[in-house]
Amino acid sequence: MSLRLNRRHFLGTAAATAAATSLPFRARAATPFTMQAAWINDAEFAGYFIGIDEGYYAEEGLDLTYLPGGPDVIPESTIIAGRADLALTTPDTTIKAIVEQGAPFKIIGAQYQKNPIGIVSLASNPINEPRDLIGKTLAVPPVNVISVNAMLALNGIDPGEVNIVPYAYDPTPLIRGEIDASLDFTTNVPYTISQQGVEATSFLLYDFGFTIYNDTVVVTEETLASKRAELVAWLRASRRGWEENFRDPNLWPPRWADTWFAGTGRTIENEIFFNNAQQPLMESPAGYMAMTEEGIEANLRALAEVGINGTRDMFDTTLLEEI
Amino acid sequence: MAAEASGQWRGLRNVAILLLIWEIVGRFDLVAGGALPGISEILIRLWIDWGDYPRHIWATLYASTVGFLIGNALGIGAGVIFALSPTTLRLFRGVNIAVFALPPIAIAPILVLTLSGMAPRIALAALGVYFVTMTATVIGLSQADSRATDVIRAYGGTRWDVLRRVQFRGALPSILAGLRVAAPNAVLGAILAEFGGGGRWGLGAYLLGSLGRGEPDRLWGIGLVATVIAGLSYGLFALLAARTIGASRAVTLNTAVPDAAPRAGHPAARLALTLGTIALPFLVWWAFIEVTGVPDLISKTPWGVVDYLFLGPTAESAQARLLAALAETLPITFLGMAAGLGFAFLLAISSRLFPRAIDAFMPVALVTQTMPLVALTPLLVLILGRGTSLTLWVTISVTFFPAFVTLAQGLALVPRSAEELPRAYGAARWTEMRMVTIPASLPYLFAATRLTVPRALLGVMIAEWLATGKGLGNLLNQSRGFLDYGMIWTVAAVSVLLSVLFYQAVVMVERRVLRRLGMATAE
Repeated sequence: MSLRLNRRHFLGTAAATAAATSLPFRARAATPFTMQAAWINDAEFAGYFIGIDEGYYAEEGLDLTYLPGGPDVIPESTIIAGRADLALTTPDTTIKAIVEQGAPFKIIGAQYQKNPIGIVSLASNPINEPRDLIGKTLAVPPVNVISVNAMLALNGIDPGEVNIVPYAYDPTPLIRGEIDASLDFTTNVPYTISQQGVEATSFLLYDFGFTIYNDTVVVTEETLASKRAELVAWLRASRRGWEENFRDPNLWPPRWADTWFAGTGRTIENEIFFNNAQQPLMESPAGYMAMTEEGIEANLRALAEVGINGTRDMFDTTLLEEI
Repeated sequence: MAAEASGQWRGLRNVAILLLIWEIVGRFDLVAGGALPGISEILIRLWIDWGDYPRHIWATLYASTVGFLIGNALGIGAGVIFALSPTTLRLFRGVNIAVFALPPIAIAPILVLTLSGMAPRIALAALGVYFVTMTATVIGLSQADSRATDVIRAYGGTRWDVLRRVQFRGALPSILAGLRVAAPNAVLGAILAEFGGGGRWGLGAYLLGSLGRGEPDRLWGIGLVATVIAGLSYGLFALLAARTIGASRAVTLNTAVPDAAPRAGHPAARLALTLGTIALPFLVWWAFIEVTGVPDLISKTPWGVVDYLFLGPTAESAQARLLAALAETLPITFLGMAAGLGFAFLLAISSRLFPRAIDAFMPVALVTQTMPLVALTPLLVLILGRGTSLTLWVTISVTFFPAFVTLAQGLALVPRSAEELPRAYGAARWTEMRMVTIPASLPYLFAATRLTVPRALLGVMIAEWLATGKGLGNLLNQSRGFLDYGMIWTVAAVSVLLSVLFYQAVVMVERRVLRRLGMATAE
């Protein structure tokens, strides 16, 4: 009994000490800031995990709360509802919402300079370019049909010539040959398929004319006005996180086996593959998270092909300049 | 007694044979090139993955328990009020049917849009619980023994005394039976919201992460754990009921929205009541949005939906897309409903003719009820393709079970004496079935139809979302990608409205037919 009391006393003191030592630091640091990610925890968000774990955000004066995404989560909704300050989105969705519904969004950065979304097929029944899709069955998540139609149109293919069916996040139908190809992150699924003893091949929509970013950093105009300093701080810390991550893409994923990646149902080997595969898609001469004039121009051009007429002023590159 | 015991053994033996067939089929990859793993493969995988499970199970248990408590508090509270005041019951009839009929798949995105954290999971669990418990409470309270009530009254007891000393006690078996059915509903509701809602923990979240691996044994393992949790929660309340009330428990539940006795009031008052009944669900909808305080751009009030669909700049395109989707969804929904009912009916008849075979089938049937369809559908696609037959099978799988339970109960309640008459004249088992049992169970066929209606729409929308890419289910998902909030709310509202209309249509046909045949509505 006395032992238990002692231990409790000890724990109490330890906690109080910890609180006391961290107090001045936190008092300086704590500007609460929330980001909404686009999907469940995987290597796609490695840079942010490093930024949190290594205190990059804290050093910038941000107390960052990280919200994972999921199929029913529309990242843009979270910032409209005021539950997050910033969201990672797909630019086609965001720009369409600005154009058609007057949604008050600004894009202030871009994680993927090249959208990792591509057409994945089996090496034994390869789809190497858009033309190969004619007469084939392609599984596409309903939210991405717009991107596929754009890519087909850009390559002079009538979408009616491809049999498009819904993709339900499970590669089994592809592995078993029920479908000929699926639309997914090329940084991820080829590995999963290789684990089943089958070789996969893929190409990016980006390389066939649909030149858009992905995981664009989006804020509301209101947040842009009221939290500019925090947004710049977030961009700076995030860039630092990504730089650290790509110093050795094999280093970080295993460290998160019991934290960020615990219980996701995915394997660490898969995350390492993912992290290596995404590096070339994120690099930019202007640094991670950058948006170059040519890049923005390419986005607007590709989206205009599918009738989404965005303008340059939907992108705000001035925060990146302040990093 | 000995015969009963040997019957149980035979039942167990049949289950064992079925499991063995499953194992062989799975081990030798006989179904869909190995998409159905053997039982042992699933269990071995479960053992390997076990380290992942506790936190997910805990999160699912937490959300479903809180939802279960809230849903039941509301259900019992509302049930008491409804039992005391038939006018209130009539006023809330529209709300009650809407809650009963709402397809979770259309509501989950709305909840994720408007609520945050654990709230969408808890809300979906509570929604799955409310109706069952509320109905059980109303039925239990209204079936009080009038002799006992008279005793209390004669000794000067108040309305409250009657409620406390007689009605609550009498209602206990019914309420406990309600809780038993409600418990698995809470678990399934929580898992569905976990799948879409973007949290890290919960079996639904684990399922989402695991789907991308293309490993059916993991998916079946998660389904199995969900089944065990749902089954245990059912068993817990079954045990509790058995402990508290001995053998006098109700076997099944009423599936009807409790109907207040029609009262001859002033026509104007009756009209006001009817209008109130129709208006109340919309008022609840509007109040929900006011309370959550989510901006207009995201959350649409009833007026917002009308504006979007009829007045706004994109109204024409919205109408065209909605009508096109409905044209694809409605015919297959009717077909699916008929198929589900037909399957349940065949099963119920067979359970009379070949009880042993059906007993062995039941555990398998139960698994199909708790195995999340998001995990099952990609595997079904491998067997059935992506056409009408897949949609029909998914719809059958979500509709047949409750319909079967209701029908089996109806068949079992046919008076012995009526059955013995044709038998005495040497009629075959089937003739007896045709001439007596089936007509006598007609009220239960209607009750089963009422149950099937909203579930059929749910099944079709799931198949559309995950496999066929057509109709309302697909429209709902595409709208998410387009940030087309107006359409998300429209699809949710239209699917609830359709379910309510179908339900009312069945109720009207039922009343007419049963009145002509001089039968009472089955409860």
